[in-house]
Amino acid sequence: MDLPTRLRSALGAENVLTESIERYVYGKDAGLRRGDVAVVALPASTAEVVAVMEAAREFGVAVIPRGGGSGLTGGAVPMADGVLVTLTRMNRIHEVDADNRTAWVGPGVINLDLSTHTAGFGLHFAPDPSSQSVCTIGGNVGNNAGGPHCLAEGSTVSHVLGLEFVTADGEVLTVGGKAPDQLGLDLRGVLVGSEGTLGVVTRVLVKLTPNPPDVRTLLISFDDMASATATVSGIIAEGIVPAALEMMDRNALRVVENYIHAGLPDVAAVLLAEVTGLPEAVDAEARIIEEVARRHGATRVRVAADEEERTVLWLGRKAAFGAVAQLAPDFYLHDTVVPRTKLVEVMAAVQAIGEKYDITLMNVFHAGDGNLHPIMGFDLTEPGMEARVVAAGEEIVRVCLDAGGALTGEHGIGTEKRAFMASVFTKADLDAQARIREAFDPDGRMNPDKVLPAGSRCADLGRPLPEGAWV
Amino acid sequence: MGVTSVRAIVPSLLARATDPIEGAPESRLTLRPGSAEELAEQLQACSASGLSVLVWGGGTHQAMGHRVVPDVIVAMVAFANVVDHQAEDMTLVVEGGVTLGAIDALLGPHRQMAIVPEMTPRSTIGGVVATGMSGYRRARYGPTRDHLLEVTLVTGDGRVVRGGGRVVKNVQGYDLMRLSCGSFGSLGVIVQVCLKLWPRPAVAATVAVDDADRATGVVHRPWAVIETDRRTTVHLAGTNEEIDAQAARLGGDPVPGHAWPVLPDGPVWSVRVPANCTREAIRRLPPVSFVAQHGVGVVDVATDDLTAIRPWAEAQGGSVVRVRGAADGLDPWGTPPATAALQRRIIARFDPDRVINPGRLPGGL
Repeated sequence: MDLPTRLRSALGAENVLTESIERYVYGKDAGLRRGDVAVVALPASTAEVVAVMEAAREFGVAVIPRGGGSGLTGGAVPMADGVLVTLTRMNRIHEVDADNRTAWVGPGVINLDLSTHTAGFGLHFAPDPSSQSVCTIGGNVGNNAGGPHCLAEGSTVSHVLGLEFVTADGEVLTVGGKAPDQLGLDLRGVLVGSEGTLGVVTRVLVKLTPNPPDVRTLLISFDDMASATATVSGIIAEGIVPAALEMMDRNALRVVENYIHAGLPDVAAVLLAEVTGLPEAVDAEARIIEEVARRHGATRVRVAADEEERTVLWLGRKAAFGAVAQLAPDFYLHDTVVPRTKLVEVMAAVQAIGEKYDITLMNVFHAGDGNLHPIMGFDLTEPGMEARVVAAGEEIVRVCLDAGGALTGEHGIGTEKRAFMASVFTKADLDAQARIREAFDPDGRMNPDKVLPAGSRCADLGRPLPEGAWV
Repeated sequence: MGVTSVRAIVPSLLARATDPIEGAPESRLTLRPGSAEELAEQLQACSASGLSVLVWGGGTHQAMGHRVVPDVIVAMVAFANVVDHQAEDMTLVVEGGVTLGAIDALLGPHRQMAIVPEMTPRSTIGGVVATGMSGYRRARYGPTRDHLLEVTLVTGDGRVVRGGGRVVKNVQGYDLMRLSCGSFGSLGVIVQVCLKLWPRPAVAATVAVDDADRATGVVHRPWAVIETDRRTTVHLAGTNEEIDAQAARLGGDPVPGHAWPVLPDGPVWSVRVPANCTREAIRRLPPVSFVAQHGVGVVDVATDDLTAIRPWAEAQGGSVVRVRGAADGLDPWGTPPATAALQRRIIARFDPDRVINPGRLPGGL
């Protein structure tokens, strides 16, 4: 029996795809890279995932987990022959425990669907990536996804209390739970953000956050980026961590305004600030933010008058990746983090890189936590364009690292930034990471060639014999 | 002394021997390494000779976990330096032996705070991470593990390894920070961490209430709702307007500041259950002092043995663990997690000879 036949008998013929067009569709994520895989499996339960893992083990092939496919760094792109496990059919919300503000959900549940489902309990799932209407909770777990509201609430890992996952050997394990401080090593914590390299997550215990009783959203205009950035630090210095603090530059404002007509100003930069809480509290905080902004040279402060206007302002922020289609047929963006104090100089350097490679750049990003998302618009059919885009991207990453930043804040390493890991970590650091992976998956069949560069596991590290130590 | 006493102490370690630490258990040798590199060499020597190592920070939580019979005590006194405080970026890099009191004193003038336990200023940050202990503000800000941006470990076999990064948001590589949090040194000695800081809100206030459950229902995301054997308090922070609005909903007068409760000196056990089991946990306690964190599910109890309610707590998916005291002969953890085999495989790749705090974790890992 070959592998597809084996999988068909376990999952049903319609849930195992081998046609070339089907494999083509599942061969890439929302980024630039494409891979090829022999078979795509769509399990509907933990037991079916176990069956897939057992089959993959027997056939000695890789397993590549995939959620909604909205990732940008190649995490779900198959790099080795094997089974691509798409978890979108595991989209049940198994339990909402409003008393404990938790829910057990399948990995295929769409991020926004979860918050919509729990709205009746006055609760939501805090991580809100721009892709939240299509990305899955399992994908959020894999990448430790973020979003604008992670400034105050933290990334996905702070909102995952437990996980059920299947190891490469087909063992089902549950880690974490509703009680705090679970005993032993925090395997939950290391599984989040592991990009499917440690196992396949089949159930997620998420923490739900109370919906705020009230909210104020401010759109603040500036004539220069430095004033906008100084305002960010100024707000936090007042003791306030806004629920979100986003920035858009002039290019982004023009493109988005032309796309959704939200009344966005044509200025050097805007800050989108949001505060949540009791009505009296949000009014006070909004007032402080406005004062700080004016002190730092804000030219205009617009407070959303109602929920409709707030929605429009947020649409402007979240639609940026769609709006870029006006500029060029293809786009690509990097996700890096720099210390907030380095934002101005890094933004200038990023702009210069765009000019050097003659690529249109716009910036829409999480200013509160220094998480940059320079968006490049281009036409891939132009000869040599892909190489230019990749080279420009690498220079951008380099500039951010030189400023003391991190490789990624919320998109993950995938294949895109694997090579950069050696710029950030020593051989011993990478070896330690590879050891963690090895403990979960000794054969290295879980999502191979992702996250860690090849050769990270150094056999010669760690057991040095101290000279003359023996008595 | 245990069976390890037949092991020979290597001359290179003997040459570095220092005075014993006051309050520490008996050991054959006490080391006070001055750097990560020196500690790495010492741990290599301990691994090569199979010497068990007890890591000593502030000595405030040594009662946690199974007893270790140490050949060597490694005291972290020299790891007391503040490496980097980027006030504008809200990050703080400190060595593992820096105390919580020192961190608080450093951050106060900057109107910043680290989300760590409030009432154990002598604890070291390395010890807090190793034990995974959190403070009262976790109800609002999350546990300690959510505020670790970077960690540097010296592994049991003497490698210096770092994970994470020094910006407030990073997902580069596996989360070694969270894996270290609550690891009790089983992966390595925590020699340096980077903490995510928070601005100190303008005003802090406490409102005394009669009914914790009612209070939890009407306030919006307070710092903490704490019930003790003496009183129940809601801890608030923010602008004056925020405090006034919350207090009005609670129907009480805000008193400036946060008088966090402290249990009397002596043994303490901790109940950890889902938040909605907090009330039932209190009901099951013996008539002694306690501090319960509503909305969190942690109840600290001034007693030397709380194993009687362990079966109930474990049935709720929780645990009952020893935090302070010396009640030898009692199981400090209870039923180990079902993932013990996987945990053992991870630990074996960081401390293959199992020299740091051997057996201290649940399941004797």
